[in-house]
Amino acid sequence: MLTFDQVHFYYKKGQPVLEDISFTIEAGEFVAIVGANGSGKSTIAKLIDGLLLPRKGSVQFKGLDTTNPADLADIHQQIGFIFQNPEDQFITTTVMDEVLFGLENIRVPREEMRSRLEDALQAVHMEDYLDAMPHQLSGGQKQRVAIAAILAMRPQVIIFDEATSMLDPQGRQQVLAIMQELHRQGLTIIQITHHMEEVLSAERLLLLHQGRLEYDGAPLAFFETMPVADYQLQLPFAVRVHALLHSEVPPTADWKGIIRSQWSTN
Amino acid sequence: MLFSQFGIRGGVYMADSVIVGQYVETHSIFHRLDPRTKLVSIVILMLSFLMLGTWLSYAVATVFVFGILLLSKVPIHFFWRGLRPLLFVLLFTLLYNAVFTKGTILWSWSFIEVTEEGLRTGLRFVWRIILLILLASVLTLTTKPLDLAYGLEKLLAPLSKMGIPVEQFSLMIVIAIRFIPTIKEELDRILLAQKARGYDLTALSLPKRIFAYVPIIIPLLFTTIQRAEQLSYAIDARAYGNGKGRTSYRVLLFQKMDYLAGGIALLFAVILLWLKIGKV
Amino acid sequence: MVYKLDNLSVNYADHVALHNINCTITAGKWISIIGPTGAGKSTFVKVLKGLIPTVKGDYWIDQQPAPRDAKGQLKVVPELGFVFQYPEHQLFETTVQKELSFALNLQGASRQQITEAIERILPQVGLSESILPLNPFQLSGGEKRRVAIAAVLMTNPKLLILDEPTAGLDPASQVSLLKLLKTWQQQNQSTILFVSHQMEDVVEYSDEVLVFHKGQLEGHFDPRTLFMEKEELLVELGLSMPEPVQLLKLVEELSGQKIEVASCKEQDIFDAVQPIWHSRGRLHG
Repeated sequence: MLTFDQVHFYYKKGQPVLEDISFTIEAGEFVAIVGANGSGKSTIAKLIDGLLLPRKGSVQFKGLDTTNPADLADIHQQIGFIFQNPEDQFITTTVMDEVLFGLENIRVPREEMRSRLEDALQAVHMEDYLDAMPHQLSGGQKQRVAIAAILAMRPQVIIFDEATSMLDPQGRQQVLAIMQELHRQGLTIIQITHHMEEVLSAERLLLLHQGRLEYDGAPLAFFETMPVADYQLQLPFAVRVHALLHSEVPPTADWKGIIRSQWSTN
Repeated sequence: MLFSQFGIRGGVYMADSVIVGQYVETHSIFHRLDPRTKLVSIVILMLSFLMLGTWLSYAVATVFVFGILLLSKVPIHFFWRGLRPLLFVLLFTLLYNAVFTKGTILWSWSFIEVTEEGLRTGLRFVWRIILLILLASVLTLTTKPLDLAYGLEKLLAPLSKMGIPVEQFSLMIVIAIRFIPTIKEELDRILLAQKARGYDLTALSLPKRIFAYVPIIIPLLFTTIQRAEQLSYAIDARAYGNGKGRTSYRVLLFQKMDYLAGGIALLFAVILLWLKIGKV
Repeated sequence: MVYKLDNLSVNYADHVALHNINCTITAGKWISIIGPTGAGKSTFVKVLKGLIPTVKGDYWIDQQPAPRDAKGQLKVVPELGFVFQYPEHQLFETTVQKELSFALNLQGASRQQITEAIERILPQVGLSESILPLNPFQLSGGEKRRVAIAAVLMTNPKLLILDEPTAGLDPASQVSLLKLLKTWQQQNQSTILFVSHQMEDVVEYSDEVLVFHKGQLEGHFDPRTLFMEKEELLVELGLSMPEPVQLLKLVEELSGQKIEVASCKEQDIFDAVQPIWHSRGRLHG
């Protein structure tokens, strides 16, 4: 569905940010893209959505090409993007207007707007905040409004570009829960992150290191086989516990469940 | 010191009382008018002020404007907040005219001569500005920023067909209004951070004061520019395109009271014109 | 240096930010400050630094009242260092050298003193001298962060306030920054006040913990007491127990026995839990 074919990118010539990146993502996948700051992972996110264009190679989504200006409107509607900073993606003056903004952009007929608005806000539990202004909302609430603004546009893919980095633990939990729920409902989720605990629930992990794709596969195998510290990353606690206890069962985010079930067997 | 009152403290203080984005809900007639009516009427009224000359015309205009203020049902202190930052400028303008206009000298002290004509000119000039500001305040206090921007966009629609990016200007207005509180918070943060490093603006001597804002303005500029960059990605990602052809949730329809309001504005303009021609 | 707050309150027009805080900060410790968002943690540290002019109650520094101006407002306390969240947002000079010299210049330090301070501080934040002539705006995020922190450390503060210093950094950078700060703290025998939401960091580095909730100081604990015995308090405040402690509690529950640990830090808990786990068949009988 989404294909990167030998993509190269740089902001300034001679300083490559991404080199020879190729991968394919199918519908309904939950993919985590990880790497240190400066590895190029945020750039990949923008390339997926056509916010940046490849210098070499191509980015294709369901037959649409990001370098084709006529395709961009469709690409932006079908691929939603949640940015890291809750403040800098809140464009309008109220929650209601923020969700309507995208609908007006994709030319949804006026009669449909109200129901899409309400459904989207309900999905993120912000339906009581229609008239709220951004400076009255917490970071987590602003991120949820951003998600609603995207959901109203009915995308097939949502990219979360370090969307929980600037949130407090409560805000993070709320956003992660919504992400899981959306995946359950069939959306393709691409999560750019360096919080390794979040990666355990992903089905697939792409590792970026100095602009190159160095791993593409299951998260668990990644933790078992790759020298995580070399990439400025840390093993999630669940994996550290797993190593400590020499458990036979593969680690999941629910390390407590595993310990309980493994307690009686020896 | 006047400078400190009008420097950064004045800047921060101004952001608090900035007229734009200060919508106050009082369910008055003005709140129910179409924003286009308000915009066009304000322009008509402001242009008609060019015809102010005699004291009678000023009196008529003043009664009219204060009538509008009353009808808006917005408490007076909001209007005062819009005027307060400009008091210094107004006073300066008054004195400037009073001193530098030739005519019958009323009072003098060494080389400073206050003339009767000067005072008259100064007062009239200042009074006109005050009335203009009050009218502009009514507009922004009774119209939600997005409605204002949308009304402006609809009024300028013909220009859009000529290829002028009217929709993008409208979005720019919305974004400017949206980010005023955010940038103010950022400014406060930076002021506090530099204060924590030992940087006290008020303690600096005057010549140094001019460069004093560098540690404040540079970081503010930098983070604001970064914000703008992020925001432009967000707008793109939300499929804004070039802003043309968007559908709209808001519907603007002229009603009877819009025609009435427009008519009254025109009537006022005609009255002032008549007063001017008749030199009454 | 001893900092003491006596019945200190901070009232704003629409809410009370701090209410009757009684607290003594003693020298040489890493003190973490935790609590839900809006609990008053930021206000608390700002009061200590003298950034909040109007306070009710008393603030004592080494048994002397904290300096106030002619109107009775608290003045900025120069000998405290304050690192705001995302401190790189306050950088403004054209070279790192100038940025580092900023605070000392304001204090009237000599060139010699500034150069010596720079030589001392740079290795303590893991930066090399080659960074001095560079423009701060062209550095990477992590480097900018260290420059901003170094700029505060230049004044050799005896008490350093850090408001979520690792926010936005990748995991390895977070660990290395915290280790650098711990080393600095121990070498300087300074106090660190560490405002954080990350309980794992709190448990790893703190000597003491202050818990805030709705403007009040709920408690002044050592990490062990807080995380092992005050679970209800943490739950009530919506704070999470650090994962290593959760592991310990789980194994205690399953094995039915109290487990002795050297501390609440991850490695100590792992060391204590491992033997229990491996002999679990025999425990259950």
